[in-house]
Amino acid sequence: MQATGSEPMPLVGALQDDGTADPAHAAALSDELAVALYEQMVLSRELDDRLVALQREGRIAQHASSAGEEAAIVGAAAGMLDEDWLFLGPREAAAALWRGTPLLALGHQAFGSAEDAGKGRSSPGSRFRKSARIASSSPLVGTQIPHAVGVAWAARLRGKDVAALVFFGDGATSTGDFHTGLNFAGVTRAPVVAFCRNNGWATSMPASRQTSSAGLAVKALAYGLEGVCVDGSDIVAVLSVVRGARARASSGLGATLVEALTTPLTSLTQAESEGTRSTRDPIVRMRAYLEARSLWTGQREQALRGEVRADVDRALNAAERADKPAPRSLFDDVYEQLPWNLREQRETLSSGTEP
Amino acid sequence: MVQAINDALRHEMRRDDRVVILGEDVGRAGGAFRVTQGLWDEFGDARVIDTPLSEGGIVGTAIGMALYGLLPVPEIQFADFIYSAFDQIVSELAKLRWRSGGEYPAKVVVRTPVGGGIRGGVYHSQSPESLFIHTAGLKVVCPSNPCDAKGLLLASLRDPDPVLFLEPKRIYRAARGEVPEGEFTVPLGKAAVVREGQDVTILAWGAMLHEAVAAADDAGKEGVSCEVVDLRTLWPVDVETIVASVKKTGRVVVVHEAPKTCGFGAELVALVNEKAFVHLEAPPARVCGFDTPFPYSLEMDYLPLARRILPAVVGVARF
Repeated sequence: MQATGSEPMPLVGALQDDGTADPAHAAALSDELAVALYEQMVLSRELDDRLVALQREGRIAQHASSAGEEAAIVGAAAGMLDEDWLFLGPREAAAALWRGTPLLALGHQAFGSAEDAGKGRSSPGSRFRKSARIASSSPLVGTQIPHAVGVAWAARLRGKDVAALVFFGDGATSTGDFHTGLNFAGVTRAPVVAFCRNNGWATSMPASRQTSSAGLAVKALAYGLEGVCVDGSDIVAVLSVVRGARARASSGLGATLVEALTTPLTSLTQAESEGTRSTRDPIVRMRAYLEARSLWTGQREQALRGEVRADVDRALNAAERADKPAPRSLFDDVYEQLPWNLREQRETLSSGTEP
Repeated sequence: MVQAINDALRHEMRRDDRVVILGEDVGRAGGAFRVTQGLWDEFGDARVIDTPLSEGGIVGTAIGMALYGLLPVPEIQFADFIYSAFDQIVSELAKLRWRSGGEYPAKVVVRTPVGGGIRGGVYHSQSPESLFIHTAGLKVVCPSNPCDAKGLLLASLRDPDPVLFLEPKRIYRAARGEVPEGEFTVPLGKAAVVREGQDVTILAWGAMLHEAVAAADDAGKEGVSCEVVDLRTLWPVDVETIVASVKKTGRVVVVHEAPKTCGFGAELVALVNEKAFVHLEAPPARVCGFDTPFPYSLEMDYLPLARRILPAVVGVARF
């Protein structure tokens, strides 16, 4: 049924509690990919746990946790093609991992070391990787949406089958850049997948204080885009929806706004302590799927947990020990060449005397 | 000047197929001031693109296009409208190269008409250059004549950094002069001494350069010899030429349309104080727009025209 905007889009889901999945979504999921997705979610959770701890200990300045939202992030990244561009927000480390970003590179970013690709200039969470077509996004909310549209639009103008996936949270749907980005996407038919993780909260504000519309996916209708609402803790469904959106973009039909309903782990933990089963934890749900298909064992689980713990340990320890950037590097890359004022100021910094 | 800018755009679009123009009414209509007239006919709607009415969207998508490898030249129809793209210019465009460790420079040249004198009123007359000069990572250019407009625009398009190219709309059609055909650039970061003199240095740019020259003529009749420097590139400013001139004259007057307080003139005077203080024979003076919004009926009272520049120049000369 075509939504009219007065009621929420129907929720797309695939995984059942018993580990079975709707074949409409699971048929195209290979066993190999299913295992890889699961392993990525476990790795991402481990990294997230460690970054949360490092932040609480004051060893990194900040960290936006993605625990509980791994299926949305990994599933969306996996739904795109290798040549597509990704625009990440601060909670999307898992998408960077999926694209092959080494843990060590993420560690250098979090600790702001000299070896960080961004030379230690951005606070933890601003991740990019040029070789993986992960663009540089600022932590400002929503500003990357028009960038993603611009990349996709440029590719379309050049006749290339290249799309862009842009992540943002529910709070971003209140920004002007969300509106203008999606409006441009509609007008230009840019091949974009605009992926909104709706975890119900933007910092202290519930989603009901961000919008009075019937969910977020319905906003797509006003821009002439496709809108889909998917269970964001169901990686089988997310992957299927994003693959569909990518195919739609490729065929010239334009962009899709995907709203993924997620539950942050903090809420899950609370639910568990209240005695309700954490059926929303995407890792638990995907493990049930793998087990139901005899793709996973307790032994493999144990091995994986040990492996990711060791890998994350090694990478973060190395990154923490790495040198910080040299003060002189502050002035590099503001422009391609240093103008006279920056040459003067760099001299001031090294000599310790104002001119 | 409109023709010179159009010529530069056409020249570069023929030479470099990465160049695309986007903005409001820039295509079939040829732009609010007809700067892009005829380009849509020659290059088609994949390279001269009419966009929805959103400056933030124009610059934001232009940044994405630049990341992909195009060289977008967005037009902001009036500089007064640029504030809705301010976040994209200041937070994103200006900082991309730096925050990505040099890996993602976004090469965009934002063109926009600036300044008053066309009965534009509050929202079609402003000169917001100092906001962008204050932003690390941007270059800011403002020509005062057709020849420089072409040469500076071509240089801006070939410069590796993002450029804000300010076009003084009061002289879009008034300023005339020979423009070299074909390939021709004027280097960024180089001011021009348009009038040599001994007693007072006048620093100006854009439409007010002509007022400065007129004031210099009038001052000459009163026995004051003025050296007029056209900054051309506002940032990075040609501090060597400014300092050399002030060392020669010992006196300086800065002229600009934007409001006086925290205008670029404040920075120029500070630079002169830092680098040529012992050569100064008089306190530097600024003749600027007033610290009010830009007026409609009283625009000729607001603008620092020659009649306001002259007494400042004479006053500084006779200090």
